[in-house]
This record gives sequence, C-alpha cells and structure tokens, in this order.
Amino acid sequence: MEINLVSEGLKFMVLGMIVVFVFLAVLVELMKLQAKLIAKYFPEKEPEAKMQAPRVPATDEASRTAAIIAAIAEFKKNKS
Amino acid sequence: MRFKNFLLMLMFAFAALSITVQASEHAQEKVVDRKAVEESTFVSKGIGDMLVSFYDTTGLKAIIEPKEGVTNGEGEEMSIFAQGWGRVMMFAIIFLLFYLAIAKGFEPLLLLPIAFGGLLANIPIANMTGPHGMLGIIYNMGIANEFFPLLIFMGVGAMTDFGPLLSRPKTALLGGAAQFGIFGSLVGAAALSQYTGMVDFTLKQCSAISIIGGADGPTSIFIASALAPELLGAIAVAAYSYMALVPVIQPPIMRALTTKEERQIVMKTTRKVNKLEKLLFPLVVIVMTILVLPDATPLIGSFAFGNFAKESGVVDRLSNEMQNSLINIVTIFLGLGVGSKLASDKFLVMETLGIMIIGLLAFAAGTAAGVLMAKIMNKFSDEPINPLIGAAGVSAVPMAARVVSKVGSEEKPGNILLMHAMGPNVAGVIGSAVAAGVLLSIFK
Repeated sequence: MEINLVSEGLKFMVLGMIVVFVFLAVLVELMKLQAKLIAKYFPEKEPEAKMQAPRVPATDEASRTAAIIAAIAEFKKNKS
Repeated sequence: MRFKNFLLMLMFAFAALSITVQASEHAQEKVVDRKAVEESTFVSKGIGDMLVSFYDTTGLKAIIEPKEGVTNGEGEEMSIFAQGWGRVMMFAIIFLLFYLAIAKGFEPLLLLPIAFGGLLANIPIANMTGPHGMLGIIYNMGIANEFFPLLIFMGVGAMTDFGPLLSRPKTALLGGAAQFGIFGSLVGAAALSQYTGMVDFTLKQCSAISIIGGADGPTSIFIASALAPELLGAIAVAAYSYMALVPVIQPPIMRALTTKEERQIVMKTTRKVNKLEKLLFPLVVIVMTILVLPDATPLIGSFAFGNFAKESGVVDRLSNEMQNSLINIVTIFLGLGVGSKLASDKFLVMETLGIMIIGLLAFAAGTAAGVLMAKIMNKFSDEPINPLIGAAGVSAVPMAARVVSKVGSEEKPGNILLMHAMGPNVAGVIGSAVAAGVLLSIFK
C-alpha cells in the first residue's frame, strides 16, 4: 500500500509535540515541587556555608600576621 | 651538475610520456595485464615503463582520467563524474568550509575537522574511507555505533548550568515550542519528496533530516547515524553550518514577530538557586526519561551524568576531564569521521541540496515557534516575559542565548537577557533530545 508521506509526517508531528510538551510540563511541575520541598526542609544550607566562609580566611590572615610579626621580632633580635 | 641534468631529463621524459599515455588507451590495458603477472615474479622493466606504471598510480591520473569500475573505500563502484569533476567540486566546497571556519569563525571546532576529513575522503586511490583506512576506522569506531555524539553530550552536560532554568521553571516550555522546528520540517521534507520529483526521501530519512531543526549537532549526528547513515555527511554539515549562522538567521525572524514594546520588556532578576536543587535536577530528568521515553536515555543519560558529576562537587577531576580533554579528543574524531561522508560520490547528490533547504526552514520554524510561544506566555503570565527569549529555545547553547541578549540590548541598552535566555536554551537541549527519542521510538 502506498503511504502518504505528508500525513505520516503530520502524525509524527502531533505525537512528537505532545510528548515534548508533556515531558517539559511535567518537568516544570517537578522543578517547582522540588524547589518548594528543598526550601521547606533544607533551607539553611547556604547561609551556614556563608557564615563559615569568612571565618576561615580571617584566622588564616591573623596567623599569617602573627607569623610576620614573630619573624620581624626575630630578625630585630638577631640584628641587635 | 650531472644531477641537475638528470632531473631535467626526467622532467622531459615525464611530460612526453603523459602526453603519449593519454593518446594510447590500449597501451594502458597492456600495463594492467602485465600487473597481474607481476604479482608472482618481479619483471625487470626499463625506466620508461616504470614511469608509465608510476603515473598510473598517481592521483592526478585518477582525477583527470576516471575509469569505469573503480570502487570507493567501501567497495561500491564510483561513477566517472564522482571520480573526476566530483572530486574537484568537493575540493572547492572543502576550501569554502575552510574559509568559513578560519576567516569567518563559523563553528571552527567542528567545521575544520569535518572539512579536513572531507579532504582526506576525496583523495583518490588511498581509500581512506574503507574499513582499513584511517577515516573508515574512526567512523566505525564511534559514529556508526552512535558512540561519539554521546561522549560529546556528556561534556556538554558537564558544562551546562541549570541554575537559570531552575530559577524560572516555566521557561522550559519555550524550549519545547522551538522543537516545532524539528517536526514542522519533517512534514516539509515529506511534502518535498511526495509532491516534487526533486528528491525521494523515505520517512526515516525525513526524520533524520528534520532533527537539524533541533539545532543540536551531536543529536543530529546521533539520529542520522541511527536512521539514515547515508545522509550523515550532509546532515552534519547542514546542522553545524546553520548553528554557526544562528546570529544571521535568528534576529530578522525575532524582529518580525515581535513589537518594539515587547522587545523592550525588562525581566525580573532571577532568584538564587539552592545547590541541592541543581544536584537533584539531573536525577529528576533521568528518572522521567526512564519512565516516559527510554529511547532517549542514551542522550539524556550521558547528558545527566555529565551534569551530575559537575554539580556533585566531589569529582571535579572527572567533570573537568569531560569538559576539556575528553570533549576535545572526541571532537577531533567526530569531525574526521563525519568528514569521511563528504566523499564526492556520497555528497554530490540532489538530496544534499534538499537537506540544506529543509535545514534552513527547520531553523527558522523553530525560532518562530519559540518566539510565538513566549508571546503567548507573556500574555498569560503574572510576571513579564520578553518574547525574544523564546528564540533561545533552539538548543544551540550558548549561541542562541547570546544572540537573544544582543538583540535585547540593542533595543534597550542595559537590558541584559542572557541569564533569562539560558533557561529556554538548556531546556531546548532536553527538548530536542526528547524529540530525538520520539523519532527513534517510532521506528523501533
């Protein structure tokens, strides 16, 4: 039987566009749901990380300053 | 001095011989006969005869004096045209591709290896596209079995940031609308072969061609090698050329379909996305693919793997490898392998012209559908959506998003749409992979 390519193509189009849209629409809902759930149950993750972040370089900086002061002191002591 | 004389003599002898050889066809047949005997015992010949038989092995002769019954690498017979003028035309096309890649910067990372592969594929006698030639080996290693495009997808996944999409999920629908380019051009290809005698595509070939509308190189190659490997060269060249032409093709369509006010719409800044959301997203996508469309899992699976490796944050070594060395190596092989399909007997056919036309229509239709969908969304949405971002629904990442941003800032300086356009853009990658899965599932 001779098939009409165009009507077959139209059928593919209907099926394809429906699947693509349904897939993405479900994905959109899942993304929204996921965002809600995460905001509800795991909200504090980011601020915690931020609070820790500045502390580490601060202590690092302080210890470095201490080391520099100690080194200068040592240098002066040796010089005199 | 004596050496120089000898060289001169050789040159004269060669010139004289090439004229006499052309004149006497029957003399060649004798040479061929003699070759058969030679296989058992080596017969001593004079220097003149040796020059004649050497000339028989040159590419020059193969191009200017094509013979009946010469086979290509795969053992199929080549027409006289494909051996002679066809090759010359292919060399011209290849130099055009070199020019576009180097001087115009059209997707040079892929067009350059593809064009060079094409150059090698058109070398007479060497048969590099055969099962024992370099290009043939590369082609069978990773393109015939659809492996290389998946590795590329892995790298693309590792480079993709889903943040913009997650912060405004509904823009994913724009990436869906742009897939109309694929299915619209499928109908176009079907109509072209049904109602005009120009080409004669089967439904499988129509589907393979239409995937150009997805604006996704690896997906196009994946589908073409699965459904219509004989059209692979033309489809890949069309897909990558049009991807390179996104900044030329898209803006006029975008402007034609929107009003000035619409183009000037400023979108709200996106919210910050939790890291956990980004980490879970590839898993959500892969679970959905498994449930709905297992045929798309090779593409989406490797994409999700690359993205998961990146977002996990604990395997930076692996994700860096995927984004850099691995994707580079595969790009070299993919380009050369695709180039092997640019042999004159495969490329210089009416179908190639049809593919180029349909590919362009597919691209335009995808852009238009995305923009129109964004206009509709803007009408029904509580927050304003600039219709321009719909054009980024074709999955040429990140080129399409950049084009959108450029057009947007031309209309209204300081209106940066890039991040808003990245949402539909990455959704377009998923959308075209889903569309590819649908096409594969139809032909199961």
